[in-house]
Amino acid sequence: MNPSIPPSTAEYGGDEVSAIVLDPGYSTTRAGFAGEDTPKSLIPTYYGKYTYDCQEKLIFGDDVFVTPRPGLSVHNPMGRDGIVEDWDMAEKVWEYSFTSRLTGPRPGNPLQNGLNDTPDNELPTEMEGVETEEKPLADSPLLMSEPGWNPTKAREKTIEIAMEKWGTPAFYLARNGVLAAFAAGKASALVIDIGASNISITPVHDGMILKRGVQHSPLGGEYISSQLRALFKTNTPQPITITPHYLISSKVAVDAGQPPQAKYKTFSPEKAPHATYRTLLEARTLCEFKECVVQVWPGPNKLSGTGPNGVLNEELAKTSPGRPFEFPDGYNQVFGVDRYRVVESLFDAKAAIPDPESVFPPATQAQTVPELIKNALNGVDVDVRPHLLANVVVTGASSLLYGFTDRLNQELMQMYPGPRVRISAPGNTAERKFGSWIGGSILASLGTFHQLWISKKEFEEHGPNIVEKRCK
Amino acid sequence: MAAADVRDMLDLPAEGQPRPLKKQKVTEKRPEGITRELFALLGERAPPIAINENRYKGRPKWMSKLRVRPWRMAPFENGARSDGLVLRHWQRQTEPAKPALEGSEMEVDENTDGKNASETVEKDYMFAKYNIKARVPNRYTDEEYNRHLKNDDWTRQETDYLMDLVEEYDLRWVVIADRYDYQPHPVDDETNTTALVPAKRYRTMEQMKARFYFIAASMLALEHPPSEMSEAEFELHEKMMKFDPERERSRKELAALQLNRTADEVREESILLEELKRITANEQEFITERRELYSRLEVPISVGNTTMYQSSQGLSQLLQTLLQADKSKKRRSILGPESAGAAPSPAGQTPASNAPGSARDSRAETPNASAPATATATAAAAAAAAPTNKKAAAAAAAAAAAATKEAEKTVKTLTPAEEAKYGVQHHERLAPGVQFRSDRAQKLTQAKSNVQTQKLAAALAELAVPLRLVMPTERVCKEFEKLIHSVNLLLDARKVAEKVESEIRVLEAAKEERERKTKESQPEKITPIAKPEVKAEQQDEEDGPPLIPADTAAEAAAAPDPPGPATAEGEAAAAAAAAAAAAAEGKGTSGGPAGSTQGQDGASHKRSASVLSNVSDKSNKRQRK
Repeated sequence: MNPSIPPSTAEYGGDEVSAIVLDPGYSTTRAGFAGEDTPKSLIPTYYGKYTYDCQEKLIFGDDVFVTPRPGLSVHNPMGRDGIVEDWDMAEKVWEYSFTSRLTGPRPGNPLQNGLNDTPDNELPTEMEGVETEEKPLADSPLLMSEPGWNPTKAREKTIEIAMEKWGTPAFYLARNGVLAAFAAGKASALVIDIGASNISITPVHDGMILKRGVQHSPLGGEYISSQLRALFKTNTPQPITITPHYLISSKVAVDAGQPPQAKYKTFSPEKAPHATYRTLLEARTLCEFKECVVQVWPGPNKLSGTGPNGVLNEELAKTSPGRPFEFPDGYNQVFGVDRYRVVESLFDAKAAIPDPESVFPPATQAQTVPELIKNALNGVDVDVRPHLLANVVVTGASSLLYGFTDRLNQELMQMYPGPRVRISAPGNTAERKFGSWIGGSILASLGTFHQLWISKKEFEEHGPNIVEKRCK
Repeated sequence: MAAADVRDMLDLPAEGQPRPLKKQKVTEKRPEGITRELFALLGERAPPIAINENRYKGRPKWMSKLRVRPWRMAPFENGARSDGLVLRHWQRQTEPAKPALEGSEMEVDENTDGKNASETVEKDYMFAKYNIKARVPNRYTDEEYNRHLKNDDWTRQETDYLMDLVEEYDLRWVVIADRYDYQPHPVDDETNTTALVPAKRYRTMEQMKARFYFIAASMLALEHPPSEMSEAEFELHEKMMKFDPERERSRKELAALQLNRTADEVREESILLEELKRITANEQEFITERRELYSRLEVPISVGNTTMYQSSQGLSQLLQTLLQADKSKKRRSILGPESAGAAPSPAGQTPASNAPGSARDSRAETPNASAPATATATAAAAAAAAPTNKKAAAAAAAAAAAATKEAEKTVKTLTPAEEAKYGVQHHERLAPGVQFRSDRAQKLTQAKSNVQTQKLAAALAELAVPLRLVMPTERVCKEFEKLIHSVNLLLDARKVAEKVESEIRVLEAAKEERERKTKESQPEKITPIAKPEVKAEQQDEEDGPPLIPADTAAEAAAAPDPPGPATAEGEAAAAAAAAAAAAAEGKGTSGGPAGSTQGQDGASHKRSASVLSNVSDKSNKRQRK
């Protein structure tokens, strides 16, 4: 391989136009250049807001976790169903995601940076000349992703932001289910995306989603966190309260199950950050807990059912060694069968741990993964169902729960014993987490894709409604 | 240090050629890029490592001569787009024709180049050729629509909508059916919002397909009438005209059923498939086995002259040749050379006409085949190698025993009921050859004499038993055999009885004759009426008491007769009566006197008694006469 000779384009059909791929999610926003294998810029979608010197300040990116500023509150521009709620802030968060690492900060608009303030009675001069130069995405086409159930209004708003605010020369809006299928190298697939706020099933046929088959339910990573909180409340030997690291000044090692002995930091009410800040940091601990302890009962059959040799699955689960976890305050415990219980409701709604204080209503059977898959398949033509079942793509960071794909496989085999079921779930953590971004990266770097971009000219001609016509 | 130097030091004689010449040679051979010192270390004997590339890998020549070709961000336009969007990608800068220039000049040159390039946008984009649309039928005009394509179920607007969708999604029916969402009255929504909105109809994919194919076929036919169509077009037209949505719908229903099978059904199907596979495999095996058997049957039988082996000298010669053939050929055989000597048929040695060598070899391979192989070996050879042949035969027998044992393992034992059901029989000994049960039954009806046969047939006809059995099962044949047997017995008995009767008649006639003579001789002494009466009375008295036992009755009947032949005849009559009684007793069902067709076992004794009395009565009456 001689690096001075480019691979022939016929080999992979690639043609890179330095496009930017932006994959906004509920928990994180991914951005990077098309043609790369991981997003260069990965930031939390959460942003912080506080007032300093009577001025409202915003914190984006990982900085939001770092300093417990007085009155710091944390917000998320996305709604729980994956649709943007606060467009102004969503625009700022997304813009930060690519300006911080990819394009670099542009010089601010000289009209707005305070240096060129004109007195109110004077007319601003020479607006047109500078305008195009100042847009952050003036020379990069932008490919964005969206959930399959994104309403038309949200799509139009997205293209407006991209075209008018960021000044991108070309834009495309792709469904993240389709992109995840592309990342797995499939044009037709049944994409199971287990995200932070949603789980969604997207049937994809020839690179297009089948709208009648798209299913989603809120039993994502956030729901699992709420189940964990419910578990901690009723935990034996003692209920667990999560104290984030920023509230701990020092801790002492204690035996398992013993109350923690830690010195806590205290903030006076006027210096303390907002409660949402604490919730965000608690969520980080919960995330760690999910990564280290939580496990999906691998099947066969439900956790509450009996195994193939007549032993209760719960009994079987109890015999497996527990997993220890130490909380930030030093409290530690070995978690046995409970670690299976918290995620069982993804497959069996009856197994949900009841928690009246949770923001999530109790899960219904129709929201569980197997039911969603069944509904999704019933929504598409019977001829493509076997093909979809043979191409099940699992993506989303929450699908990295230990044993998830095994259980999913079991459930699918049980539901559809006839057709061949084949799950394609990349073992590489990054590929699973950034599935839809990687798909976008592949798509936007293909030579044949460049005819699909919506150009600025087309946008100006047809208005934002063009996104409905072109991004099918 | 070269090997030659070492030799020099040790005062060894130099090999072959003089030294300087050799050295010269070495320097000539030295490949480019290896320094002389390094090459000298290698010596004249090259190390046992293959040096494939014995050249120093430096910068390739063409590289040093070329200028570095710069890459630049080149704008391009995609021919597949209509809006002239200009995007930029990295491209190799095309080499200017001019040779390399000096630094400053080059820079200037490049700058101007870049400017030119940025102005000239690439027009022919290499990926534009992949922009292919599916071929969709021509759009109809209003007139065409009204004349040919009208349909009560589909409005013009909806048809248009469908055609648009088909074009947009390139005939991907799955997607079309998914996205199909026709709003009947999008225009006058504002005017009559209160009016009843027609219920939204759900179109199935089959309905859409049927409509589209109808339109496409019609448009095709309008373009070219079917008579003028090319073959491909006509085929397409036919296919589209024959689309049957109903059938498609039922097919999809079946497909859904197939998809939603339960685990049990799937398991059952897999088991059945497995079974089928097994059966077909067995069939193949069976066919190959049968073919092998046939090929073996077709092997020509040795008809060669064996006279040359009949002398002891010829035999020993044959043995020798066999042994030799074996030593050369069958050394690998597990059996010893002598035992193997007997096994293969000496096909090669028997003059001409014998099985080809390949056939013999194939035979010798299977254990079962060894037995026929030894059998076909000429008798002489078998006799000559008697002890070894025994061994081979024993081996063959063992193989056969193993085979039967194996067979026994697979055969399941049948209960008597099952044996009867399947008609399984066990024979002590089987007659050679094939015979039919019906033939055997037929043979029974053929007696030695023609008359007897006719009588048999008459008896059977009287019994309403057909001469040729309708259903010659095992049991029927057995019964038939018994029947024939008893009919024969009866016929014999009747024959004897008739004989006895006729003799009695003759004797009575003789007696009358005698009496008449005596009457004639003394007519005056005794009155002719009284005397015979007394005699008759006397006879009656004599007859009366011993009436019950048949033989005594017969004896009594015979008593007044002259001695000698009369007594013998009486005995014969008695024997016939006894035989008849025995026959009647022995076969109740078929037996009895020829007239009794249906006999009951229970009644057999009675009847025998009655037969007995009949016979005795008859004789009595005859005597009275």
